This record gives sequence, C-alpha cells and structure tokens, in this order.
Amino acid sequence: MQLDIRNLAKLYDQKRGLAPTSFEVSKGELIAVVGHNGAGKSTLLKMLANWIVPDGGSATIDGIDLKNRIAVVRKVGFIPEEPNLFDFFSVEYNLKLFAALTQTPMLRVEEILGEFALLPFRKSRVQSLSKGLKQRVNIGRALLADPPVLLLDEPTSGLDFEMTREIYRLLGTMHGAGKTILFTSHRPEEIKSLATRIMVLHQGSLIFDGYPDEYFQSDIHQKLYA
Amino acid sequence: MMMRNILVLACNDLAIAFRNKTFFLILFIPLFVFVSLDLVDGTRSEAGRVRIGLVQGHAYPPGITGNVNAADKLVEVTWVQNEAEGVRLLKEHKIDGILTGKEKAPGSLALLVLKKDSLRTIAIVQDFSALQKAAEGSRPDWITNIRSLHQSGVQRETLPTWILMLVLLIGFIILPAQVAEEKEKKLLIALLQTPIHEAQWLIAKLILGMVLIVTAVLFLHLLGGFGPVHLPGYIAFIVAGSFCFSAYGIFLGFLCRNQASARTLGVIFYLPHLLPSAMSDVSQKLTSIAPLLPSYQLYEPLQSILLEDGRLADMTFDWVYLLLLGSVMFFLSYLLMKRRWLM
Repeated sequence: MQLDIRNLAKLYDQKRGLAPTSFEVSKGELIAVVGHNGAGKSTLLKMLANWIVPDGGSATIDGIDLKNRIAVVRKVGFIPEEPNLFDFFSVEYNLKLFAALTQTPMLRVEEILGEFALLPFRKSRVQSLSKGLKQRVNIGRALLADPPVLLLDEPTSGLDFEMTREIYRLLGTMHGAGKTILFTSHRPEEIKSLATRIMVLHQGSLIFDGYPDEYFQSDIHQKLYA
Repeated sequence: MMMRNILVLACNDLAIAFRNKTFFLILFIPLFVFVSLDLVDGTRSEAGRVRIGLVQGHAYPPGITGNVNAADKLVEVTWVQNEAEGVRLLKEHKIDGILTGKEKAPGSLALLVLKKDSLRTIAIVQDFSALQKAAEGSRPDWITNIRSLHQSGVQRETLPTWILMLVLLIGFIILPAQVAEEKEKKLLIALLQTPIHEAQWLIAKLILGMVLIVTAVLFLHLLGGFGPVHLPGYIAFIVAGSFCFSAYGIFLGFLCRNQASARTLGVIFYLPHLLPSAMSDVSQKLTSIAPLLPSYQLYEPLQSILLEDGRLADMTFDWVYLLLLGSVMFFLSYLLMKRRWLM
C-alpha cells in the first residue's frame, strides 16, 4: 500500500472536520474524494499534506509516518484550492525558489515551464496571471521534485469550462505517468470518466469507497446530488 | 544543506523586503531623523545671539539697558510698546524672551519665555548672568561651571532613542506583519511543503530582521557622521537587541491570523516599549518603571556606550537578558509553528 490511513481525525467543533477515517491507497490509483462543502474533503487532504495537525489516528506514505514531515513532503505534492505563490514575483522566480528548497536541478524548472506551457509567462508576475494559469504554476511547482503522490484540493474551483478540461487532462497525464493521485471535487459528474475510485465524505464521515460505476448506481449519489 | 536552505530563505525574505518597499522605509526613517537633527540647535555656539524684548516705560534696574545695548554681540534688543506686544512677538518666534520688572520686588527682573527648560532659556540666563557680573563685579556664584557627562550635542544625545525606535519599529511593526502575511497567503505552509526545517525558516526571518536593523543603524551613523564608539560593546548590543526584538516580532506575527491584526498588535507592543525607555531620562517615575521593559535593557546600555563611555563588561546582565529573551521568543515561535498556529 502506498498510503495507509488509520483513524485519522480532525475536529474543529462538533459539526465540522473529519471523524476517525481509515482507508488504503495502492500505487497508481486516481481517487476522487467527493462531498458537499464542509464534508471534510479538504481537511483529509490537508492532514495528509501536513498542513494541519491531526487530532488523532495515524497515516503512512510509502511506509513513512506522517509525523516525519521532512521525509513525507518528498513523497507528496499538494496543490491547494487557492494557488499559494509569491505573487509579486515572476513564475520563474517561484519555480526556482521551490526548486532550490527541494534540491531539484534548475533544469527541471525549464522542463516544467515547457510541460505546462508556461514559457511565454516565465517573466510575468504571478499576480498578473489568470486563475487558470496560476493553477498551472501551482501544479508545476508541486511536480518539481517529482513526488509519487499528488493531492489536489478542488483543482478546478473557479475555473471556466476550458480550463477545467485542461486541468483534468493534466490529471490524466500525470496518472498515466504512474502518479498516485487524490483530488477533491463537489461535482462528481465531472470526474465520472476520470477517477479509478471514488470516496464520498458526508458530514465528516466516509460513507462510500468504491469504483465509479458502483457509486453512480448507488442510492448515495442520488441522495446527495439529486 | 541546512545553511543552504537558510541562505535561500533569507535571500527570499530580503527580496520580499525590497519588493514591498520595506527597505526604503528603513532607509527613509534614518534620513528623516538626520534631516530633523541637522535642523536642531546642537550646541550653545550654534544658538547665536539671544533676542530679548524690553518693554518701553518699564522701570528696569539702573544701568541694565546701557549694559544690554553695549553687549550687542551677545544680545539683540527689541523694544516693544507693552507686554502684550512682546508676548505676540514671542509666539511668532521673533524674540526669545521678554524682560519685565517685578512689581513686588523693585529692582529685580522677570524673564518670560516660551519654554522654561529649553536651550534658548539657558542661553538667556547665562548671558544675563555674565552681563550682571561684568557690570557689578559681584562675587562669583557657588557653582561657577556646569560640566556634562554627555558632551556630544543634541544629535548624538538623541541617537540611542532613534536606534531604539528603529529596532522596535522593525521588531514590532515590520516583522510581525511580514510573518502574518506569509501565514495569511498560505506562503509559509507552501514553504513547509519542502524539506526545510521549521527552525531554518525562523532563522531566515531572524536574519531578515537583523539585517534590516543593522542597515538602518549603519545608515543613521553614516548620515549623522557619528564617530566611533567602543565598537565591540556597541556591536554586541546592536546584535543582541536586533536578535531579541526580531525574535519577539516573529512571535507576535505567529499570534496573528492576518496582517491587519499583526499591525494592531505591533503598535500595542511598540509604544509601551518605546516611550517609557526613551523618556526615562526626563521622569523619575519612568526611570523606575522602564527597567521592567526589555527595551530598556537595550536603550540604557546604548546610551551608556554612546554617551557615557560605558563598557560591555559593566553591562553583561543586560546583554545576557536580551539574548535569553530572544531565545525564549524563538522557542515559542517554533512551538507555534509546529502546531501550525492560526495557519
């Protein structure tokens, strides 16, 4: 198992957060974590990305305990819903800064700029880019150190139809390259043909974990999204 | 690898400081201070002749008008119709004082000035005392000479205050805002997605604060042409002070969720640390309160080194205090960072 999650929990108050949750993820899976706002999707991903400290439970990624942040971050790339870049600096500066901190060769920055069609924007300040372009920079940054696991929190939030398709195409490409991917969405119809597995969170609890076909035929989908 | 990460992060912080104009701010403040101080009458000789108003029709002691008129290199006399006109000229800064007779004590004089404890008032009293002795040949005063430990003029005497102001400004206003901004924009958490240690990020921020403080202090010295002091002691206190208040500022930044609250909290800490220490010289009550503040542990030694020939060996307690407090603040920031406090 690449990810082994055991009773991982985070409660902000009685209603919000994530109840103790357990599941396993094999290498190369592309998992969509769906649910309404406040279901606990982002909380789950943020705990796996070491953004927030769990209240309880444990998790390992490639056998490394989540508490060992410095080792874990080499295994995980996290792309938050809102791009968190140094927006008063250029695209190239941002990528080079993170390349330096992840001990990635600078040649990789050129590769990322090329792969994500960012070469024309390399000198542009991030704040001058559209949200879609910022998200591409954000994904590119997460891929700099070539981590085997990618976590994406609402990667298409606020994007138009074209950019949403572009992001899903990128997800497909990364999955094809052997990455294990978990991403959240509150629009399950969009990821029908993309995900290899769907997990449904509702009010902080995992209420479904299975194949997309099973999910779309189940009552759960009808109840949640009818 | 640790040093490399710290260097990368510190360079990034300095680049941010350039980009958000923080560097211009810390250079502008010493420049403003220098220009203001340059306009201050630093020494008695710079004060020039005193301009005194005499009221027409007043019964001045015999010979005084003659002596005052004769001493035209020291005193410039302006005759006014009445006291009201003299007060008007005084308020317009056209004269420095008015000499009037005292109704209850004929033969003695009263001096009306804008501010009792100013350099101009001292100059007037000195000049008239000298004139009186020259005219009457009276026996010397008990105190014939006043010497001051601080012989360096107003510019240098206020230097510790300006340095404290800069240190606290960077520590309590600039650094907390920058830390809170990185938290608010999720930049700190993005940096923690790389294999850097929390302490490396904190050390880089400390370097930023210390570089800003040292740059501002150096610039102040360069502009003012303030000469060498006991350099090892001076450097030791600037380093300890910048370390202490940078760590303090980073800690305050961690207590805030966003820039706005960091600025508010910064000001709440800034003024109570600045005013009692900086004003301790003019109030006995403040002199007893100020030592309770960490800012005084920097201000007092700086004043001693810059103005009173003080030595580091005599101020070991203050120096160790600053380093210890800085270390405690650093550790508390580390704990908050580990807990992802308000991130």
